Amino acid sequence: MTDIAEAVRTERLLKSFGHQVAVGGVDLVVPRGSFAGLVGPNGAGKTTTLSMVTGLLRPDGGVVHIDGLDVWRDPAQVKARIGVLPEGLRLFERLSGRELLSYNGQLRGIPRAEVQQRAEGLLRVMDLTESADKLVVDYSTGMRKKIGLAAALLHNPRVLFLDEPFEGVDPVSANTLVEVLRRYTASGSTVVFSSHVMELVERLCDWVSVMNRGQIVAQGPLDGVRAGRSLNEAFLALVGARDGGEGKEGLSWLGATSA
Amino acid sequence: MAGSDLGMSATGTGHGAGNPVAGGAGGAAALGEGTGGQGGHGASEGSAAVRVGPWLFVRLKLRLIAGNLRGNGMRLAGFIFTVIAAVAVAFFGFLVLAMLRLAPQDVATDVATVLLTAFLVGWAVVPLLAFGLDDTLDPSRLSLFPLRAGQLAAGMFAASVTGVWPIATLIIMFGALAGLTSGVGGAILGVVAVLLFFALCIVTSRLVTTALSGVLRTRRGRDVLAISVLFFVVVAQLPNLLLNGGLANHPEALLHEVASVLRWTPSGMVAHAITGGGPTALAELALVAVLVGVVGWLWIVALRRALVTPDASTEAASVRNSRGLLARVLPDGPLAAVAGKELKYARRDPRGRVGWFASIAVTGLMAFSLSRGDGAAGLALAVGPACLGAMMIGLQSANSFGIDGRSLWMNSMVYGTGRAWRIDLAGRHLAVATIATPLLALLAVVAAFLAGDLLWAVPAALSAWGVLGVGLGVGALTSVLVPYTVPERLNAFTGAAPGQGGVAFAASMGAMIGGGLLSLPIALPVLLGVTWVSVLAVPYGLLVSWGGRRLAGDRGFRRYPEILAAISQGS
Repeated sequence: MTDIAEAVRTERLLKSFGHQVAVGGVDLVVPRGSFAGLVGPNGAGKTTTLSMVTGLLRPDGGVVHIDGLDVWRDPAQVKARIGVLPEGLRLFERLSGRELLSYNGQLRGIPRAEVQQRAEGLLRVMDLTESADKLVVDYSTGMRKKIGLAAALLHNPRVLFLDEPFEGVDPVSANTLVEVLRRYTASGSTVVFSSHVMELVERLCDWVSVMNRGQIVAQGPLDGVRAGRSLNEAFLALVGARDGGEGKEGLSWLGATSA
Repeated sequence: MAGSDLGMSATGTGHGAGNPVAGGAGGAAALGEGTGGQGGHGASEGSAAVRVGPWLFVRLKLRLIAGNLRGNGMRLAGFIFTVIAAVAVAFFGFLVLAMLRLAPQDVATDVATVLLTAFLVGWAVVPLLAFGLDDTLDPSRLSLFPLRAGQLAAGMFAASVTGVWPIATLIIMFGALAGLTSGVGGAILGVVAVLLFFALCIVTSRLVTTALSGVLRTRRGRDVLAISVLFFVVVAQLPNLLLNGGLANHPEALLHEVASVLRWTPSGMVAHAITGGGPTALAELALVAVLVGVVGWLWIVALRRALVTPDASTEAASVRNSRGLLARVLPDGPLAAVAGKELKYARRDPRGRVGWFASIAVTGLMAFSLSRGDGAAGLALAVGPACLGAMMIGLQSANSFGIDGRSLWMNSMVYGTGRAWRIDLAGRHLAVATIATPLLALLAVVAAFLAGDLLWAVPAALSAWGVLGVGLGVGALTSVLVPYTVPERLNAFTGAAPGQGGVAFAASMGAMIGGGLLSLPIALPVLLGVTWVSVLAVPYGLLVSWGGRRLAGDRGFRRYPEILAAISQGS
């Protein structure tokens, strides 16, 4: 299985909620060692896709391979290789940051001394040492994302999945997150993150998958997808930006001083 | 989630409340889903702005209920279960009260007085404690709409009335009307009386929850509530204790005594107004109406204040970074991690504390009130309460993953086998047992002391430990088969995910019945005096809990995405 060059590959991944198709046959491909961005408008199915890829949500159909291993057939192997930072970020709120990391490490069977050492290092890099003994329930959004990322990195996974890691994060924390992720991918590991901030994706990623309405509409190296434009322009063209004169007509009362 | 988005996406345009010149009637605001898309509709003086009446809030509440049920069979089943339960309660409640007609009139009035009081107290207290029974709109979500406090109150009142349980209550109250009234004039007066009393129940309930909502949002306030649960449990046991004490003498005399104390409370006045009629009744009803007005006014004041009071739940405090005793004894790994985390949660999470406090209080009371009654054999008085306590504690584990809620993804990201889930459950059981084993021993000693022979503590403790094991084993199964969300915050406004109350009920009933049946082989002989059987109780309990974990671990692994979904509803 060493010849597999893809960290992530899904085939015809399907999920619907009731009558609504959230993900309609997604073939997501992420080459090994890349810093990949999964972009798309709200409701495009990014979170649903990532949940299915990481084994948190059962797909209605299709297969997911991570490092050549089937996520739903070989969960133990896959779970040892991946780290996840889900959306919404429910953490164990009544543990302190430090306890959360050690809980995570112990669950994964890492020796306690090793867990402690790694946790201290992560806390230091994430600039969380001062708040390490505060309960997670009292953390700010940026701190939560950082401790979540620390927890996801603790077991040194080969592939890291991050759902909207930069949403609601202040610039200082965002910078820390970026630094850590850059260092992580430089060592040959893979990062897949979803976002709808095109500038960020453009700055960080070398591989982009564009989703719209439950489908992948473009996928490939950043320059290939951009094709000479800015990523934002390429993105708007791909998802078919819905505005124009009609919308403005319909809102004629908006901003009018009197009607 | 989906439902609330749906409901709250209704757009509001209009003039600011408190601007008497520009607005039409009542701070005219257009807030409704039917009118949004038809172009040209706005807040201009020329177009007719739709008045926001209570009916809109009723529709909103119905939409929220419907939206929460959509596309989720489990919740739909739970909701149907709730409806059936409410219909049954309403039917039998009505019947019982209507049958008061057969009793002598003064007795009937006394009974109605006591029952109505129970309703009033219930409405004031239950929404605070039993979340999910009364899931009304959260007024803070409406705070940005240009609604006056009075309008908001009328709307909130209408929304509060909309629901299965309020309607059931109203039906039962009309049973009192059927049971007490005589003549057409009395009936008309009675209808007014019942409606007034119903309004009083609702307004009181809203006042209590609104007034306490600020407190309930702070960590400290929730801790206080955890202790007040104890108080309410004690109060709930009062009638029981009273009856135990008084039943031997004269139940009617006791009833009359209680009713005469309550004579000039709203419930007493309403009951008498329905029975008696005449000018006195009119005066009594007028008094109740004034009371409804006053409570309603207080509610509006509280509401106004609650809307501009910030959420004060962010006082940060450091925790000691200590390893518990258990973590030092256990080998490194998931078992120690889960057990340690569970012990921390029992201490730090108010929901954990409420559970423990409640089960201890209920058991203590049970032991106390049983020991005062007579008739049962001495040994059973020691063994019974201890086993009941074990059952109560075991029931807390009927939804082991509930308190973890959405954060359980962290565990499920790690576990790749059924065995891993088994170890997780074992960690949880270990944590419960760490607290419960000494606690049950203590309870057994106390119960034995009250029952008259300290030696009885030995079989009592042994069988209680056995029953605990059985409870944990059965609880492991219900935890994976019928998991449900435990509400994130003990906030009086947002209850359990609406519709899940039935699922929760099914889970604890299943655990109780299953646990009870499986406990019989060890508990029954001991209760009947065959004390040596208690020696087998602990191994039996261990066996059942192991079996439960074994079955549950594999099932948990197979359906963990579904478990995750079930315990992350709402919030």
